[in-house]
Amino acid sequence: MKCEHIAEFLPDYLQGRLSAEQHHDVEAHLEQCADCSEEVVIWKKLSLLPVEQPDPASRARFEAMLQAYQAGRSSQPEGGTEWRKRASTWNWNVFHWLRSPLGAMAWSAALLALGVFAGLRLAGPKPPSLDLAAMQSELASMKQLVVLSMLQQQSASARLEGVTWSTRDQQLDPQVLSALLHTLRYDASVDVRLAALDALSRHGRQPQVHKGILDSLQQQSPLVQLALIDLLLEWRDRDATHRLQELEQTPNLNPTVRERVEWAKSKLN
Amino acid sequence: MLQVRDGAGETLGVLFDRYQTPLFNFYSKLTGDRTLSEDLVQEVFLRILKYRQSYRPGTPFRAWVYQIARNARIDHFRKFPRQTALEPEMLPPVLPTDSAQEQQEVELLQRALQQLPEEKREILLLCRFQELKYEEIAALLGCELNTVRTRIHRALQDLRKAFHQLARGTMLKKAEAAAAENVPRGGRHEV
Repeated sequence: MKCEHIAEFLPDYLQGRLSAEQHHDVEAHLEQCADCSEEVVIWKKLSLLPVEQPDPASRARFEAMLQAYQAGRSSQPEGGTEWRKRASTWNWNVFHWLRSPLGAMAWSAALLALGVFAGLRLAGPKPPSLDLAAMQSELASMKQLVVLSMLQQQSASARLEGVTWSTRDQQLDPQVLSALLHTLRYDASVDVRLAALDALSRHGRQPQVHKGILDSLQQQSPLVQLALIDLLLEWRDRDATHRLQELEQTPNLNPTVRERVEWAKSKLN
Repeated sequence: MLQVRDGAGETLGVLFDRYQTPLFNFYSKLTGDRTLSEDLVQEVFLRILKYRQSYRPGTPFRAWVYQIARNARIDHFRKFPRQTALEPEMLPPVLPTDSAQEQQEVELLQRALQQLPEEKREILLLCRFQELKYEEIAALLGCELNTVRTRIHRALQDLRKAFHQLARGTMLKKAEAAAAENVPRGGRHEV
């Protein structure tokens, strides 16, 4: 067997999936061919690579995501998959019927009836406070959804607006915070990153935000790095010293950032 | 997974515990970025929840998860194109092992792996660390089984070359350092 043929058999040999005869042929080739046998050695050496452990906080983040998702779902109409299946098959017909003149009239009448009903309800003596609370919570989750979708926009100004929207709420959902942290670290526009940092600085007490801000020190933009260092100094964050030392060791670090790191370290100590 | 598919969100926690570390390692070895890897793992589980109806019972769950994982990474880099190549400083720290030689080999291997083009690194990670079958990888990458075999072989060839090049470089550096150390010492003796 020659090296050209081994390409066909070696991967299966490595996973022990060859017949006895083929296995024997490959081994015979490996004894003669240094290059191919080294490939086998490299394959075995790959098992030496360490298994990294994710941050223990990931589990809490996952739980928060799950809760947010389930809360979002429970506010949708009940009925499960059966209802959805039936709805999807009917959707098309109903849509067509609504576009016909008769459908349009029925639609208008229904809207009118709904308007009258809503008017009567709203003008009623006691507006039910439970409904109001539900509406408020729905409004809050709508706002968060708007922020989340705006942060995903192509245009930087739309993303910037998304960040500004997020500052209107005192309490932010973990998902929105996580999107803002993502923006802070990866957004293509430095202005959007700086705005995200400004928005996040109000939520520094949350462990998720604190950790995310420390992680964001390693990034491309010196402007954002300077702003991050200033913020950490403002927080008098002692945990930051270690991370600043790490940043200082980064090769090709911008000289101004390096100076600011040194200055910040002296202030923190 | 069938329970998750049928709406029992709580059972997703079991899947999270089982797949979080392998997925995290897949991403971190591929991108070298821990924070991004954690974000992508969360994204994978959000997508599992959203698209759980698309899982077909009886098909390998692991392959379905890695399909989602690949798409999540592709979508991320489409939205946020990479600005820099992977820095060797971003590699995970090598845990102290029994021998210094082994430790050095692991370091060299990590650097060699990062020098490979991403698609080669990915296929090696999928078959060596994520333990996907070649058939599953072929379905994942949308290619023939034989193409998978050839790609694995080529990736291994490149890894071997990169590893040896790095090993040679390290040996040369050591030799130079030893020579540089000897010269001034000799000079001092003469004085």
